[in-house]
Amino acid sequence: MLKYLLKRSGIYLVMIFLTTSAGYFLAVSSLKPALLEQEKIPRPSPEQVTNSFRLLGLDPTKNPWERYVDWLGGVITRWDWGRSPNGAYVNAEFTDRVMVSTRLFIASIILTLVIGVALGVYSAARQYKFQDRAITSYSYLVHILPAPIAYFLVQLGAININEALGQRIFFVTGISTPGIDPGWPAFVDLVAHYAVPTFAMTVFGWAGYQIAQRQYLLDNVNADFVRTARAKGLTRNQAITRHALRVSFIPVAQSIAFTIPAIFTGGFFAEAIFAWPGVGLWSIQSIGMQDVNVATAMLAYGSVIFAVGAILADFATTIVDPRVRVQ
Amino acid sequence: MSTNIEQPTSQTPAERLRDVGLYAPGDAVLSVRDLNVRFNSENGVVHAVRGVDFDLMAGKTLGIVGESGSGKSVTSMAIMGLLPTTAEITGSVRFKGKELLGLSDKAMCRHRGSDIAMVFQDPLSSLTPVYTVGHQIIEALTVHNPAMSKQAKESRAVELLRMVGIPSPKDRIKAFPHEFSGGMRQRVMIAIAIANDPRVLIADEPTTALDVTIQAQVLEVLHTAQEETGAAVVMITHDLGVVAGMADDIMVMYAGKPVETGTVEDIYYAPRMPYTMGLLGAVPRVDASQKNSLVPIEGTPPNLALPVTGCSFAPRCPLASDACLAGEPELWAVSGSEGHQAACIKADSLATDVDVHRIFHAPPVPVSKFDGVPRQERNTVLELRDVKKHFPLLKGALFKRRIGTVKAVDGLSFDIREGECLSIVGESGCGKTTTLLEIMEFHPAQQGEVVIGGVSNKVATDAKTKQAMRKEMQMVFQDPTGALDPRFTVYEVLAEPLENLGMPRAAIKKRIMELMKLVGLQADHVNRFPNQFSGGQRQRIGIARALAVNPKLVVLDEPVSALDVSVQAGVINLLDQLRAELGLSYLMVAHDLSVVRHISDRVAVMYLGKIVETGDVDRVFDNPRHPYTRALLSAIPVPDPEVERTRERIILQGDLPTPLDAPKGCNFATRCPVFAALPEAKKEKCLTFEPPLTPEGNASEGDDQEFACFFPDGELDADMLVVHA
Amino acid sequence: MTNIIDPIAELDEARVENQDVVIAKSRIIFRRFMRNRTAVAGLFIFLALFLFSWVGGFLTPWDKETIDPFNIGMGPSPEHFLGTSQAGIDLLAMVVEGTRISILIGVIVGGLSVLISAIYGCSMAFFGGKVDSVMLFILEALIMMPAILVVAVATGSGGDGLRALPSWLLLIVVLLVFSWMGTARLVRSLSMSLMQRDYVKAAKYMGIPSMKIVRRHLVPNIGSLLVLDFTRGVTGAVLAEVAFSFIGIGIKAPDISLGVLIGQSTGQVSSFPWMFWVPLTVMFLLTGSLAMMNDGLRDAFDPSSSSIGSAKSKTAKKKTR
Repeated sequence: MLKYLLKRSGIYLVMIFLTTSAGYFLAVSSLKPALLEQEKIPRPSPEQVTNSFRLLGLDPTKNPWERYVDWLGGVITRWDWGRSPNGAYVNAEFTDRVMVSTRLFIASIILTLVIGVALGVYSAARQYKFQDRAITSYSYLVHILPAPIAYFLVQLGAININEALGQRIFFVTGISTPGIDPGWPAFVDLVAHYAVPTFAMTVFGWAGYQIAQRQYLLDNVNADFVRTARAKGLTRNQAITRHALRVSFIPVAQSIAFTIPAIFTGGFFAEAIFAWPGVGLWSIQSIGMQDVNVATAMLAYGSVIFAVGAILADFATTIVDPRVRVQ
Repeated sequence: MSTNIEQPTSQTPAERLRDVGLYAPGDAVLSVRDLNVRFNSENGVVHAVRGVDFDLMAGKTLGIVGESGSGKSVTSMAIMGLLPTTAEITGSVRFKGKELLGLSDKAMCRHRGSDIAMVFQDPLSSLTPVYTVGHQIIEALTVHNPAMSKQAKESRAVELLRMVGIPSPKDRIKAFPHEFSGGMRQRVMIAIAIANDPRVLIADEPTTALDVTIQAQVLEVLHTAQEETGAAVVMITHDLGVVAGMADDIMVMYAGKPVETGTVEDIYYAPRMPYTMGLLGAVPRVDASQKNSLVPIEGTPPNLALPVTGCSFAPRCPLASDACLAGEPELWAVSGSEGHQAACIKADSLATDVDVHRIFHAPPVPVSKFDGVPRQERNTVLELRDVKKHFPLLKGALFKRRIGTVKAVDGLSFDIREGECLSIVGESGCGKTTTLLEIMEFHPAQQGEVVIGGVSNKVATDAKTKQAMRKEMQMVFQDPTGALDPRFTVYEVLAEPLENLGMPRAAIKKRIMELMKLVGLQADHVNRFPNQFSGGQRQRIGIARALAVNPKLVVLDEPVSALDVSVQAGVINLLDQLRAELGLSYLMVAHDLSVVRHISDRVAVMYLGKIVETGDVDRVFDNPRHPYTRALLSAIPVPDPEVERTRERIILQGDLPTPLDAPKGCNFATRCPVFAALPEAKKEKCLTFEPPLTPEGNASEGDDQEFACFFPDGELDADMLVVHA
Repeated sequence: MTNIIDPIAELDEARVENQDVVIAKSRIIFRRFMRNRTAVAGLFIFLALFLFSWVGGFLTPWDKETIDPFNIGMGPSPEHFLGTSQAGIDLLAMVVEGTRISILIGVIVGGLSVLISAIYGCSMAFFGGKVDSVMLFILEALIMMPAILVVAVATGSGGDGLRALPSWLLLIVVLLVFSWMGTARLVRSLSMSLMQRDYVKAAKYMGIPSMKIVRRHLVPNIGSLLVLDFTRGVTGAVLAEVAFSFIGIGIKAPDISLGVLIGQSTGQVSSFPWMFWVPLTVMFLLTGSLAMMNDGLRDAFDPSSSSIGSAKSKTAKKKTR
């Protein structure tokens, strides 16, 4: 088992290296921070720009390959992911950004999963009844609605509520009010900031789990082993909850790990709409700033998240399914 | 509950009482009266079970026999209360006088698993994959004995596993279902069923998915279970052989209705309903050299979504007259036999001396032009010389690693002459299907030589030689549905090989019409898709496709095992007739030794990739020399209660070992009943040397029978011998 | 599961009795599709939108560039059916253009990605072994890349190399690179299982050449998957375009697409609501109609579909997700 996971990790490391390298070349050849410098007032001379960029390790006169070698050397020898055109260190900002994103996502990941699986089970139990049709139609509707627009609509709704009530209950942007008193006011402020994005990501996030859980459970409610359980003397509901549910959860458990990267992408939109200074917003802003190193670091981060997700998926499968367990 | 008092006056008072559900013998543990089940489907209301009545006495066994769709499984599920809530169930099911129909799921749960238990058909899918078998047995105990202590439940589970013959039950209790073979899982199912000492045990096709040797073991376990618990058993099966030795009474079902009931002797020796007679005539027997044709039952069962107006069997019955179509016949008492009933207006005229072959127009035994020619003088169409196929064995579902080599086929040599049928038999996993695939692959890189029509695979390097060989040999597959592209019409299916030969369009059309006629299909059905045909018809299409290019040799992979008994006979007769008319040779793989005996001239018994006995089919079957052949033959149930009850049976221990564990000497030693009884000194020989194939009998008959055993005449181990007196 | 005679099969039989030609399967599938009301409605909506995107421009004398100085930021009026933007440009003209670009992106990305995945997936299944594992590695590496970042980098480039392309074409290229992997994997596993089917073996044993087997048995059986994936791919591409353009990393003004129109108007939803809701409605109609068609196609192709007739087969395939 351990050996297998190590082997998989090794393969993913190679993949991460390749995707990151490819990303670096793409970024280095398409992002030109020097162009933005020209818009500054007073306008710096090209020599000044080149010099300041050289000091930051972003020398525009070197060819992409030379820059790649320099950059890679920094990453490997000093774990230094380079600097932004404004001089900031990527490493320094990275941790903060990841923390902000993680804090934003963690609640909605858990809520999405719990609600999605619960609704999946509920709708399967009431197959073709009104509740099932309503829940499942909603999930299909979510599929044809792009995430940022969905989030925007939620934002719009929250603004309308605020306006209707005449006071600011929900914050639709940002992560906290600067200078708030610690303790209870800070907590209220925290909730007011978290509520809208978490709500948006949750109500538009569970659809996938709901459809999958419903389908897998329906595939299993009439399985032979459920019939055996009933023949033992279990009621239909007991047999389904004790036997079918557990088996139907196997593929869902697998997909949970795989949705982690999807949430990363979804988070992109959420951060952009709700202006949370997390990884996603940083990436988009950095690309706007023509920032090669941040863009590459984000790409690497995304790949690592995916690899972790995939390995977790394997791991989750071995936990819930004894058939793939290896001593 | 149907209280239909205005019944025809021809009934006895007891029967009338019985119909209104008031009368039941006092000692019946289970009484079923006028059971009807209807399902709503998109094609209308399907009346799946139509008026089933029976009484099951304590400790007795009732066999319910019928083909797929006859309503036998639905009946058992209705008794258990396991049908979906959308099913409409009427009538009465009483357990010791207590009405079960209409009970809520919760109320029914008190009886399910404790009073009435059930064993299902497919052991592979009937156990929950994510729980240990111990957990699943204990669950059955917990439901009905909440007060039982944990230790008590655990020790009871171990005891149950031991009772059903699972070796080292203490350790195995922690194993997951996927760690067990099919036969072992069925034993676990039986253990779960008898956990609470049920009064009634319903077994729905409990051995259909299993190999014959494993079937014999499981039937034996069921027998033990019945003896231990004293339960009454309802045995549901399509196989008349399986119930012959076990059942006290038989109920034959057709189109959702019982058509004949009686004691085993009544049903097997004096059937009065043409359907029962046909069924009995449709199955070949393994214990007799039977060279007359089987009884074919033409047509398909009726559509139960349509109202039944006459006898439901009439459209397929050769004796049907207009009277049969006027009203459906009830079960009438048969004259001269107490308790024997048949639903046929002609039952009384069908006395014992009626020849079922004549009634059903069984075709005459076809004679091939080769039948008179001695074997040695016929041309060889296929020859195998020392063919081997070894696979690397990988372990783990997700994490694969090579742990050894599987010798699926290990040095096979045989030949097939013109006009002859050779069958390869053995348990699943013995390498018989791999052998067929190796022959069909036919390329020079194979280990060993395959010679087809004089062309060796060693020289088959160019496409032209291969093409020539493809014309010589064609294949018929086991699953007639999977073998036909669902997107092709029959015309396209049959045209494919012909187009490949470059035949002109007009000739193709002519040939296709010819083929349709040859296999007994209507020529105007060529534009239909395979799913518009029944299973038997699809298999005929498969046969027609194989014959399209006029091959000399047809390879048949379990050609009838996916078909219903009544349909099977028609296909077997067709194969017989084609062989004679077209001078074909067959190489067949089958697990049903009765079918093998009926079709084949010669047989090869395979065990773990090797032939252990081969020769003329009658010689081998009448005088088996190898202990494995003897065990295989004795495991086949015969549709004859007398024979079944008295004969001696060899029950092999355990499953087919994985080819990895193949021992150094004789492969079979681990399960051999002779080896087990040998003195130590002689055992040494079996464990060290591999027995070669040696001819049996006098030299003049030479190669007629060969076997690979050092001690064919050795004593059989007493533990593996079973006789039910 | 009883043998019920299907009325369609009966009709077919009657019609075909005196012909020796085989019933065209495409017609059967078409008929089954047409029987599904939702699917037909979806088809009509889609065709209407398609038509609208090409001839809708004639409904208004205005075009997407001309500013109407007398009608700046006006709601729907007889002069401007759907109103004007705060710059005074006719919304109808812009929606027509945006719909065309969105459909174009959807159809091109959907179509090409299906083609790529079919070729890639079939090659993997056909060659197997080393080729398969290398191709699978590349595929997984591509899945691993966060597509959104690459889109952002590629379309947000300040350089001149990629800028030469119009932004919608650039978006097509990038979406294409990241859209085919899922289907390719499906095609691979499906072809692998098809090659194990008895009827493929039968064809092989009849000596039918490999390429012919692929053409006659593999492709038609994967075909339904591909058609389904085409409509799904179109939906996906339209959604991706809208999502990316909405947050400003896909198509950029002055180019117009539905996503750009929706995205641009978010700031003034309360003052110019029509600018937001009209393109959003069009997008919903577009993705909704595609989803409805997809549903109908899935039923029409499904060999275990109830409308196929007296299917006694137990090979009911799970619906591909």
